[in-house]
Amino acid sequence: MAAVSPSLPRPTTLQRGVWLGLIGLGLLTAAVLWPAEARAFPASWNLGLRAPIDAAQDWIIVNRAQDHPLFFYFFEPLSAALDTGLRLVEGALLTTPWPVLVAAAAALGVRAGGWRLGGVAALGLLGIGALGVWEPALQTLALMLVAAALSITLGLPLGILAALSDRVDRALRPVLDAMQTLPTFVYLVPVLLLFGVARVPAVVATLIYALPPMVRLTSLGLRTVSPAAVEAGRAFGATRGQVLWKIQLPLALPTLMTGVNQTIMMAMGMVVIAALVGAGGLGREVLLALQRLRVGQAFEAGLAIVILAVVLDRLSDAFSRQSPGAATTLAPALCRDGRLQFAAVVLGLAALWAGAGAAGIGGIPTTWRLPVREVVDPAVRWLRDNVFAFEVAGLTLGTGPFSDFSTIWLLNPVRDFLSIWLPWPVLITAVAVFGYALDGWRLAAASAVSLLLVGLLGMWAPAMDTLGQVLATLVLTTGFAIPLGVLASQFDRFRDALRPLLDFLQTVPSFVLLVPVIMLFNVGRIPGIIAAVLYAMPPGIRLTDLGIRAVAPEATEAARAFGATRVQSLAKVQLPMALPAILAGINQMVMMVLAMVIIAGLVGGAGLGLEVVTGVSRTQAGRAVEAGLAIVLLAMTLDRVTQRLAKGEDRGPKSAG
Amino acid sequence: MADRQTANPSGPDTKPAILCRHLWKIFGPHPTQILQAITAGDDLPSAHAGHVVAVRDVSFEVTRGETFVVMGLSGSGKSTLIRCLLRLAEPTSGELFVAGRDLLALSETELRDVRRRKISMVFQSFGLLPHRRVLENVAFGLEVRGEPLREREARARAMIELVGLGGWERHYPRQLSGGMQQRVGLARALAGDPEIMLYDEPFSALDPLIRREMQDELLRLQATLHKTSVFITHDFAEALRLGDRIAIMRDGRVVQTGSPEDLTLAPADDYVAAFVRDAPRAKVLSVRRIMRPLPADAHLAEGPRLRARDRVETALPIVAATDGLIGVCDEDGALCGCLDRGDVMRTLAGA
Ligand SMILES: Nc1ncnc2c1ncn2[C@@H]1O[C@H](COP(=O)(O)OP(=O)(O)O)[C@@H](O)[C@H]1O
Ligand SMILES: [Mg+2]
Repeated sequence: MAAVSPSLPRPTTLQRGVWLGLIGLGLLTAAVLWPAEARAFPASWNLGLRAPIDAAQDWIIVNRAQDHPLFFYFFEPLSAALDTGLRLVEGALLTTPWPVLVAAAAALGVRAGGWRLGGVAALGLLGIGALGVWEPALQTLALMLVAAALSITLGLPLGILAALSDRVDRALRPVLDAMQTLPTFVYLVPVLLLFGVARVPAVVATLIYALPPMVRLTSLGLRTVSPAAVEAGRAFGATRGQVLWKIQLPLALPTLMTGVNQTIMMAMGMVVIAALVGAGGLGREVLLALQRLRVGQAFEAGLAIVILAVVLDRLSDAFSRQSPGAATTLAPALCRDGRLQFAAVVLGLAALWAGAGAAGIGGIPTTWRLPVREVVDPAVRWLRDNVFAFEVAGLTLGTGPFSDFSTIWLLNPVRDFLSIWLPWPVLITAVAVFGYALDGWRLAAASAVSLLLVGLLGMWAPAMDTLGQVLATLVLTTGFAIPLGVLASQFDRFRDALRPLLDFLQTVPSFVLLVPVIMLFNVGRIPGIIAAVLYAMPPGIRLTDLGIRAVAPEATEAARAFGATRVQSLAKVQLPMALPAILAGINQMVMMVLAMVIIAGLVGGAGLGLEVVTGVSRTQAGRAVEAGLAIVLLAMTLDRVTQRLAKGEDRGPKSAG
Repeated sequence: MADRQTANPSGPDTKPAILCRHLWKIFGPHPTQILQAITAGDDLPSAHAGHVVAVRDVSFEVTRGETFVVMGLSGSGKSTLIRCLLRLAEPTSGELFVAGRDLLALSETELRDVRRRKISMVFQSFGLLPHRRVLENVAFGLEVRGEPLREREARARAMIELVGLGGWERHYPRQLSGGMQQRVGLARALAGDPEIMLYDEPFSALDPLIRREMQDELLRLQATLHKTSVFITHDFAEALRLGDRIAIMRDGRVVQTGSPEDLTLAPADDYVAAFVRDAPRAKVLSVRRIMRPLPADAHLAEGPRLRARDRVETALPIVAATDGLIGVCDEDGALCGCLDRGDVMRTLAGA
């Protein structure tokens, strides 16, 4: 996409700089001189979505109660079927004696990735038992399995269709995009309304959230199967179906398994949110403990979620690594003595079950407990007394005062600047100019229209509040992530030490991350921001590290050959060459920060998150949907802009025509 | 440039196994419009931006049992041409009769049947299925046409044996060297017992030594199987070893078709000349092509006579040992020409 029509000569960087400076000056003058009463987005300019959505909500509530055919013949039976399925899986897991489950997990691990993985899987389950959350963990596992199985059974055919037909692919793409960027809270309301309260809405919400990676990766896997293999199939007279079944699907299997892995991980990310709509399990444990401010208990349940996620991740990841045709563990398992082994394992498990059943063994004994809360609770208390606030020479210091201080002197001014002082037309124009300078008219128009729509949704002020928080968080996150990433790329030991921490931060449910932060920083916007920094840092660190390490060794070597010091070669060769990867990391961080800002709405983060949460908790669908759409628009704009940045400057003569 | 069609050497009664007339293949969004524009005389490259004329008015025929070689630089349209013969690429226009059928008139089902039973292909990048063992790869064609497991495995084993891979049935392609992988490709193509074999640069990805070995293997197989073959290569030495006739392609056109001798002695243009420049002339040329007519006052040297159909290479020992004019006999043993050492040396020098 060329910014300028190809026939025109491209302006030089200097010319562009001068122009941008002039426009900036003009905008600044406009902002200063703007009449005070016209700075806020006019309230009368409204799309008026709220009323019809609320009306639809009322219609659903009334008609569901009166057994309208739509509910009687569709949603209710669907709901009942899902509930029955879930109950079956849950019942099966809960009635299985614990030694059988542990042994089965170990066997699965051994088959997928060898003895080590078998050990990890078994130890993981035992650890969950030792945290005292065996039953809720199995409930969560059941919900995850049902939701993941549904995602796979729906996602696989959709992905196949998308791979076979460009038209289906084009139609599905925006839907999947929306499913992934829409904050989960937004569709919790309609899902709750349509499927009733209980565990079914939780399954459906998880399904919506976890479906896209399965569809995308199925389609991607099928489309990237080597064309040579497909052509060979056609040359030997294979039908389209034969090509699909005998060539494309088997060859795409690793990518499909990555899709399964991603789907499971996405589903695990929903555990706590699902509990908000009645899912039970570990998520509920976390929420209950949080409401009673029992940090130790919440931490235990959160840890169990992390362990479950890690075990499921490792297992599905190991299966996805088994490339077709390689002599891996799966191949022998499917032939020769593999069948014998399989039969032996099944027999062994059955015998174990019979024995355990006879001995009356069910769940893991509650007496086997790791004293986690006994350690965490005093630690939190100590932190509260000694870090949160303490007196030094008559001054109150600590994280609490720090939090208040930065809210009053940093966040509030930024928020007020964006949402009150800055005239809305000036902001939209500034964003459009920025978009134009980056990528031309299309980005300029898309960004401007998105922001205008946010205003028309009646969400200008909360959106500006959120934007301020996102920007502040982004500055912090980038400031931490990039230096850490650079360090990790230079020192293997530092990277190895960082890795488990990053894994933890990426799998721990965001709520669990919020708990200690709230304890330390009080309720408000600061804990949300700090949690968001923690949550969003890992991809930034990882991509920076990866980008620098991926710089061709010849380039670094050449720099060394000319006598560059390590720092010089880093600054002059590695960092510039890794810039696209680093910018891609920033793009990822923006999206994660936005996701977290919504959750922060739950703990006093205000802004759009608060609007959504209030809408959901008061079943005001209109309000939740408006705020949700505003979040999507904001996300789309930030995503486009940062993605454009990540693609790099104009790539030379190609765009110049 | 007009195609120079050489007369069918095997006699007029043999029906060609492949007959290709005025074949065009244009890639791009509006191939037929571009073709109309070109045939109407508007052949400026700027006129068909976004299109590639990969095959341009190509005509040739291949007789039963013959090995027809197509040569040309990379991008000259060889792969596209051979893919058209199986309708893996759909020709834009032209006539194509393959194995006695009007290929372009076939329905999807009939076409599939032709691919399953009549024509097989060997690919440059082997095109093996990495998730299947050697045995299952070789049996693939039989599997898709629905042969029962036992029979297709027996047949596949026989083919694996035939290409000298006995004992490797249970290995996966990636565990095999390049040469062995292409043997699997060969066995897979032969398994369905097709009438016609298509080879798209099958040995180009292999090391020179292995390539030579594979050529010998192919010659050995061809000596017993006599499959009609179309063989693509960019290596003239390979073309000489394997081909009965050679077509040279450039920018989608066939610029010259003929026997190796025709091309070597009378290249149609510099492009063809560049291909044949390094040809081992002693191996390519026959005595008939370099002899001169018998003069009336012929004074022939005593000693052995040369046979007209022999390659110059085989005649060399006699030429070296004989001074003066040496007589050349045709198939019936009658004298039909003569040559001396100077003739031979001038020929070998490329004059
Ligand atoms: N599927 C395709 N779409 C567009 N152009 C193609 C396609 N396949 C081949 N071509 C073009 O057709 C020309 C001939 O290609 P090809 O037949 O592969 O040549 P060769 O096999 O002689 O190297 C090339 O310019 C190539 O880029
Ligand atoms: Mg080719």
